[in-house]
Amino acid sequence: MNYEFNWSVLWTGQSGQWLLQGLVTTLEISALAWLLAGALGVLSGALRTAPWAPLRAVAAFYVEFFRNVPLLVWMFFWYFGVPPLLPKPFQDWLYDHGAEFWAGTLALGVYHGARFSEVIRSGIQAIPKTQFEAALSTGLTTMQAYRFVIIPVALRLIIPPVTNESLNLLKNSSVALTISVAELTFQTRQIETYTAKAFEALTAGTVIYLILCLAIAGVMARVERRCAIPGMIARAAAAEH
Amino acid sequence: MKRGMNFFFAIALLLAGESPAGAETTLEKIARTGVLTIGTRTGSPPFAYINQKNEWVGFSIDLVEQLVLPPLAKKAGKPVKLEKKESAPPTRIPLLSSNAVDLIAETMTDTRSRRDSVDFSLTFFVTGAQFLVKKGSPIKGIKNIGGKRVAAQQGSTNARIIRERAPKAQLREFPDQPAAFQALAQGQVDGYTNDGIQLAGLKAKAPKPGAWDIVGEFYSYEPYGMALRKGDSDFRAVVNNGLMEGIDSGRFFEIYEKWFGPKGEVPYPMAPDVKKFMIYQSVPK
Repeated sequence: MNYEFNWSVLWTGQSGQWLLQGLVTTLEISALAWLLAGALGVLSGALRTAPWAPLRAVAAFYVEFFRNVPLLVWMFFWYFGVPPLLPKPFQDWLYDHGAEFWAGTLALGVYHGARFSEVIRSGIQAIPKTQFEAALSTGLTTMQAYRFVIIPVALRLIIPPVTNESLNLLKNSSVALTISVAELTFQTRQIETYTAKAFEALTAGTVIYLILCLAIAGVMARVERRCAIPGMIARAAAAEH
Repeated sequence: MKRGMNFFFAIALLLAGESPAGAETTLEKIARTGVLTIGTRTGSPPFAYINQKNEWVGFSIDLVEQLVLPPLAKKAGKPVKLEKKESAPPTRIPLLSSNAVDLIAETMTDTRSRRDSVDFSLTFFVTGAQFLVKKGSPIKGIKNIGGKRVAAQQGSTNARIIRERAPKAQLREFPDQPAAFQALAQGQVDGYTNDGIQLAGLKAKAPKPGAWDIVGEFYSYEPYGMALRKGDSDFRAVVNNGLMEGIDSGRFFEIYEKWFGPKGEVPYPMAPDVKKFMIYQSVPK
């Protein structure tokens, strides 16, 4: 095949500006969704280990329902399914003010929250039962034992799998282009439309995702080292990045 | 999935560099395998779509099957089977460049910038962009869409023109027609712009065709062609000769009538000047 590479399409015309806009949108939607996923994940992960069955059932329902339906379906659900349930004037207002972005954020956040939840549950369950009992015996309530002992340790334990999930979340944000969110992948396609140079545009997108992911992995490795409690979690060596 | 493949192809291409497939022309490949692989659509009636009997059919597919395959089989010296793969505006050029398909036969507009990356066959259909709106909508054409929410297909020339000529319009770009139409039906957008014929097809298929209007003059010229890998002129000649034979014999116009005639999937009569243009495209033997 004779495909002529022309890398200059990436910095001539509006391409650079589009990539930058796409990058900002990707970071915005990922950051907001990450906060939502983190909050839902901690709540639901803690509830899944709670000593009261109905709470565990609610959390289990949330996890199984949201993680077992494809993300693409959730995008359509939040964009096409939910707004018609809202009052008409609010619907119109929403459609004029970035309904796509918010639907995408919710889809991504709620879906990944269910996945975060399992990671956090595994962290909590990795803590020996005796530690929970010891916390209770010092006079803490169940809530306090979770708040001051279990969760802080669990959050440290799960940094590597959470890094994994966070990287997935960032890359999955590209699914939002199906509901017209102009994020990074959307913009690389736009460059392709204008220049018909698909490989150059996709390569630029790939490299940007790679850099973002490496940066996140690096930050998380630092967080892991900084937050480690000496002598608390046994490990052969600190993770290197 | 499609997006994943895009990246895969990009990376595969980078790793492969000068791939061994480069040594083989498309005609040689078809003669060896006895298969012509085309990239086409599943949801663009009547050019290429899955019909109610679950068959993958359409005008573009018929043209390939009835006009391109016979001369190709003659050239290859054996029967050639047609294989269809799904392609979409963002994936079709990568599919072609990576040898995953040999020919794009769907609803692809021939443009000068696309000709930098791929070659095109003769023009086999002519249309232009308009708007699909709810009956009674204030949108009358490209001149009064400022401030309105307008859906377009991602990666289409129409989205590009809207962005340039109506920068005040709120453009929403969807990867496929069903999502854009859903957004229009539910009110997420006030209008959906695409080539007039696509809109006619969508309207004909809608649950209540009478509830929709196609408005506005053509604000773009959209000549549809089949795309081929660049520089593969022998294969291109076979494709073009097949189309010219079809125009000369009248078979082309019969196929057109089958899909766009009064009893066709989407009634869209061929304008006299378009018919003349088609005939003039067929050069003498």
